Amino acid sequence: MSEHHITPLKTYLIIAASLLFLSGVTVWVSYIDLGSFNIVLAMFVATVKASLVAFFFMHLLWDDKKNLTMFLMSLMFFGIFVTITMLDTGFRGDLGLNPETKDPINKRAAFYDTLPLTDTHGHPVDEHSDEHHEDKDHH
Amino acid sequence: MSENTKQNYLNHPKGIMSWLLTLDHKRIGLMYLFSGILFFFLGGLLALVMRFELAAPGNDIISNEVYNNAYTLHGAIMIFLFIIPAIPGALGNILLPLMVGAKDVAFPRLNLASFYIYSFGALFAMYTIINGGVDTGWTFYTPYSTQSTSNVVPMTLGIFIIGFSSILTGLNFIATVHKMRIPGLTWYKLPLFVWALYGTSLVQITATPVLAITMVLLMLERFLGIGIFDPALGGDPVLYQHFFWFYSHPAVYIMILPAFGIISEIIPVHSRKKIWGYKFIAYSTLSIAFIGFLVWGHHMFTSGQSVFSQIVFSFITYFVGIPTGVKIFSWILTMYKGQVSFTPPMFYALAFLFLFTIGGLTGIFLGAVALDIHLHDTYFVVAHFHYVMQGGTIVAFLGGLHHWWPKSFGVMYNQTIANIAALGVFIGFNGTFFPQFLLGLRGMPRRYATYDEQFVELHSYSTFWSGILGISIFIAVMNLFWSFIKKNKVDPGSNPWGGMTLEWTHTSSPPHPHNFEEEPVLQHGPYDYDKVIVEKTYKK
Amino acid sequence: MGHHNPDSPSHLKHYFHDVNQQYETSKFAMWAFILTEVLTFAGLFVAYIVYRSWYPDMFVDAHKLLDVNKGLMNTIVLITSSLTMALAIWAIQKNNKKLSVVMLVATFIFALVFLGIKYLEYTHKFEVGQLPGEFYSYMGPDAAHLNNPHIFFSIYFIMTGLHGLHVAIGMGLIAWLIYSTQKGNLTSEYYTPMEMIGIFWHLVDLIWIYLFPLFYLIG
Repeated sequence: MSEHHITPLKTYLIIAASLLFLSGVTVWVSYIDLGSFNIVLAMFVATVKASLVAFFFMHLLWDDKKNLTMFLMSLMFFGIFVTITMLDTGFRGDLGLNPETKDPINKRAAFYDTLPLTDTHGHPVDEHSDEHHEDKDHH
Repeated sequence: MSENTKQNYLNHPKGIMSWLLTLDHKRIGLMYLFSGILFFFLGGLLALVMRFELAAPGNDIISNEVYNNAYTLHGAIMIFLFIIPAIPGALGNILLPLMVGAKDVAFPRLNLASFYIYSFGALFAMYTIINGGVDTGWTFYTPYSTQSTSNVVPMTLGIFIIGFSSILTGLNFIATVHKMRIPGLTWYKLPLFVWALYGTSLVQITATPVLAITMVLLMLERFLGIGIFDPALGGDPVLYQHFFWFYSHPAVYIMILPAFGIISEIIPVHSRKKIWGYKFIAYSTLSIAFIGFLVWGHHMFTSGQSVFSQIVFSFITYFVGIPTGVKIFSWILTMYKGQVSFTPPMFYALAFLFLFTIGGLTGIFLGAVALDIHLHDTYFVVAHFHYVMQGGTIVAFLGGLHHWWPKSFGVMYNQTIANIAALGVFIGFNGTFFPQFLLGLRGMPRRYATYDEQFVELHSYSTFWSGILGISIFIAVMNLFWSFIKKNKVDPGSNPWGGMTLEWTHTSSPPHPHNFEEEPVLQHGPYDYDKVIVEKTYKK
Repeated sequence: MGHHNPDSPSHLKHYFHDVNQQYETSKFAMWAFILTEVLTFAGLFVAYIVYRSWYPDMFVDAHKLLDVNKGLMNTIVLITSSLTMALAIWAIQKNNKKLSVVMLVATFIFALVFLGIKYLEYTHKFEVGQLPGEFYSYMGPDAAHLNNPHIFFSIYFIMTGLHGLHVAIGMGLIAWLIYSTQKGNLTSEYYTPMEMIGIFWHLVDLIWIYLFPLFYLIG
């Protein structure tokens, strides 16, 4: 068989170690409240991790660039799908003619009204005897 | 051209198992062809039932419920069981490896598997019919599809399975085009049909997975009430439409791109002139494939999506017209000062140009938000997409069949009957669907089994001509098969239309079991008629 | 080209010129398949993003009902399995059959551990009623105020369920690899199936890399 690239063992071990380290980092960061920046950071770390996997474990770095193109194409079409769908879902009722359409689905489903309150184990609790009563009135 | 060796893919090897377990792309293509035509007739029969129901107002033949089933099944069968698999599965399978000079597609076993997956999915669709049909329309819009008591689940399951077949065929073709070309056959020397199949396959592998997951979500919505698409559970039915059309709009291009490819082959061969603007056609194929992913929301102008997205979708929709226009102009310029011969394939190609242009231009009407709100869900839409799907794709498919019939089977059909049938298809088609534009403009909604008195005249015209259309298509197809039964053989070395692509110049008709007796060596481009038979084509 | 070498390797299919063409074709097709996989998940990611933007508070509060430790454990397990898979290919490239089989078995075991942890998570959710759609019944003090948490759990179960299905399919494929490598069908001359399945397995890891923060860390 013609020569295939053989990645050195050291590379694999370094990549795996970085992946584990980054997993730790992303968990640690998630406990710090950075507001909406949390999600940006988490997605950034995830993307770094994903790139390491794709380029080193999946050999994209050394492969025919056609393979990389295929992979990037999948991400591009995902991007198109999200962006264009959000043009609708993010702007519902944008003419403001009918305030009802502004928040199309924020109504609570009817079946919640019949659900009994439970404890953290999912067992129903008596509504009148526990401290969560307050919770229910609020909402 | 080498001498006939008597051995071809049709007679070697023999036996029923050698067909059912064949890995030969040409035999698999034939199996797709026969099953496709079977479903085409089934879908056509449903269409005729509907047309005859609509000949007069009131429920004369079938009830409203049966009518709902008929249009749903007509749409689903025609799209998922016939048009999407037919051209890539049948003509694409037979021709693609021949055109790139390969012995087979990249993955023959996968190819056979995708045929059986398709058949398996088709069984679910057939079960749906036997079990009482499905009445949601082929789009399965929520919330009705989550509530309907008809066979939504078997049908969506069938479509889900057929989706895998479509994906695998697409994968196979892409790998074949990239990796199986003979040395020297560079991208710009590929026949344009190969470009078209390549563009189609890209759309197939990119869009179809989303259909699969949409069908899964729809089934889960029915089984578990997951609430993603159900407004009563805090979900959003319009999101279903986004998911569905993210697949189904590109699917329109899965259906029409191979037709473009066929026309790009037929016109230069039968005009004996090099295709005009090769690169324009090649790249317009890819740009249509790409732009097709950006415009799905023009199916949803009355769904309640945001006005902002409507404007964006409407704007981008117009861009589809550019590469499509480029193709039409290129084809016309190819014929200009060519030596046009009025053979049956050319008749179909000319019919295509006429019908598809009408379909395309009315598509621009519908792409305009303001006009679409008036025309949405009327017969104007019905006429528009039949001009594209039938007047475009199916007419091109028939043209392709007539063009490659002697190549695939080594027999020639009766060309006079074929020409008459082609004329019948053209007239019958216009007679059936042109009145529907007028019906739509006057407000006749689609998907109704009955209508007001004022529409009687146009509806009865439409019904009358639909009969002519049905008979013409039947004659056209039977004429083809008759040549097969009558064994009106052509000389195995013959090249009846004078094509310059590898399948014409380097192998016998019907082709050798391994396609070529020896690997072809490329001597000229796909449309270099001038280089080889200068004396014949030069006139004046 | 076109002239078949009589002693061409047995794994070379007759319709390819040479092994390199065959290898490159398989690999390219595998990446096209990865594209379809990514777009299958893309649909679910879109659902996630859309619903998160509609129910930002519910998503943040509902994610606290998931067990971060189990999620992190699974992340570590899956990354390690990705490493062992890569090492199995590395070993076969060096023609070290024994090490390759050991690495494949390790990958299989890690996959099993992943599904085991997932099973524990799922059973807990089933017990307390944190279920998708209309089956949702958990109204504990930390959830009673939430607006439609069943949607979060619908998306959670569908996405992790589809991912888990891929893990299970991957296990079947790896089991087959163990068998063929042990039998000596795969060598440094021909290990295409292992490389293909390897790419599939890394994809499974790659998707989890996104699922983990989206569900367990930032709701």
